[in-house]
Amino acid sequence: MRIATRLAGIELEDPDGGRRRLGDLWQKQPIVLVFIRHFG
Amino acid sequence: MRDVQDTIRARGAELAIVGNGAAHFAKAFREDFALTGPLLVDPELRAYRAASLRRGRIELLSPRLPLHALRALRSGARQGAVQGDPWQLGGVFVIRPRGELVYRHVSREAGDHPPVQEVLAALAPGAPVVEEQGPVSHPQAWLGHALGRLVDPLIFPSFDRTGFRIHALRFQPEDLAVDLSGRRCLVTGANSGIGFETSRALADLGADVVLLCRNRERGEQALERIRSETGNRRVSLELLDVSDLASVRAVGARLAQLPVDVLIHNAGVLPDERAETRDGLELSLATHVVGPWLLTRTLQPRLLEAKDGRVIWVSSGGMYTRRLSLRDPNWERRRYDGVRAYAETKRAQVVLAELWAEELAGGSVVVNAMHPGWADTPAVQTSLPRFHRLTRSILRTPAEGADTVVWLAACPGARAFSGRFFFDREPRRTHLLPITREASSDRRALWELCERLCEPLCETPR
Repeated sequence: MRIATRLAGIELEDPDGGRRRLGDLWQKQPIVLVFIRHFG
Repeated sequence: MRDVQDTIRARGAELAIVGNGAAHFAKAFREDFALTGPLLVDPELRAYRAASLRRGRIELLSPRLPLHALRALRSGARQGAVQGDPWQLGGVFVIRPRGELVYRHVSREAGDHPPVQEVLAALAPGAPVVEEQGPVSHPQAWLGHALGRLVDPLIFPSFDRTGFRIHALRFQPEDLAVDLSGRRCLVTGANSGIGFETSRALADLGADVVLLCRNRERGEQALERIRSETGNRRVSLELLDVSDLASVRAVGARLAQLPVDVLIHNAGVLPDERAETRDGLELSLATHVVGPWLLTRTLQPRLLEAKDGRVIWVSSGGMYTRRLSLRDPNWERRRYDGVRAYAETKRAQVVLAELWAEELAGGSVVVNAMHPGWADTPAVQTSLPRFHRLTRSILRTPAEGADTVVWLAACPGARAFSGRFFFDREPRRTHLLPITREASSDRRALWELCERLCEPLCETPR
């Protein structure tokens, strides 16, 4: 399965408690998706 | 980070960040870096796992980690409290609508970040979709990765033929199962050694290959050999002395009358004594730096027209020993040392590959440098006879030395990289020691030196 397909269905929380489905991030425009080791 | 965010937006894309720490860490992070795009937390590592990102203690025990940490400290970063999973590594992906993956960088260790221009290149219209690769499952490739991690921090066994054989365990045969028909590839220094093997391999894959050689007789011998061994008649010879700027401009202008898809800067010299070209340049500087810069500039319009343009700088592992210096690049105030001049100009080639990648970012051209390891070439035999005598039994064949050049020129997946330095088909770090890191002023000075020497020629009618 493609990476985008595996990621698309995952829902994550933002710092304010809202939830985002990853697949929505690249629905309208390209997305640079950066996974970081730690915040800071 | 804010600049990067703005640049990404200017290209019609968005920056999203996922971290594995808690929400309150993310809030502080968002404020510190003035982020306005999506910022998400993934303490359960679901997205990290879905993206096949690495996790483990071995990756965090890399001998390069202290160097990455030092670099981070020098750029102002400070390690705060440990957050989330300390063993989890990161990565960068560029995904287009319909889920098309056009860029993937999976960190091999802490501090392994991709160059920004490489990520931006993936946002160019028409950037190709990256082949999806699942986790390595082939036992031989696994062994190659495992042994590679052991030998990679070393020069021996890594630069030698044992290193090639270890690294080759993970090479994917399908990477070079390509048809290069219709692609025009230019190779300097093509009559012997790595240039010859590169030209022969590209001709074997069906490319139109132009051998750029100084010596007519040796060039014609190479031409005949390649034509007869590959059966490819679309191989031709052009006489070019890369160290002679007028020759570069004139031949470059002639070459630019036809499309150019791949340009390989391979020609090299290692003089015993200081020699000066008719342009008044020290021979290594002219051959490795100024001449190739002018050839690239002359062919730039043609490269930009190519759907899949590639420029490759064949550097040397010897460049690891030198820092880029513009104090006396023409060796007028120093006692001449040919090996040092060679290493300094090979370091300059690596920097030029990065600068050209920035110059051409956003288009269809990628620019990378590589080093071939220790290969048994005529140049090594004649220029470094003592080294050759001592190491003859462990040297790579010229074809093994040329392998990464061919891979960078031909493999569809290789165009996902730009501004990188390769060895045995993998991007490598460009410094082994912090002391060799150049100042940004020296990078600018190198580019300005080339411009100053070449622009007058570019302005004259061809």
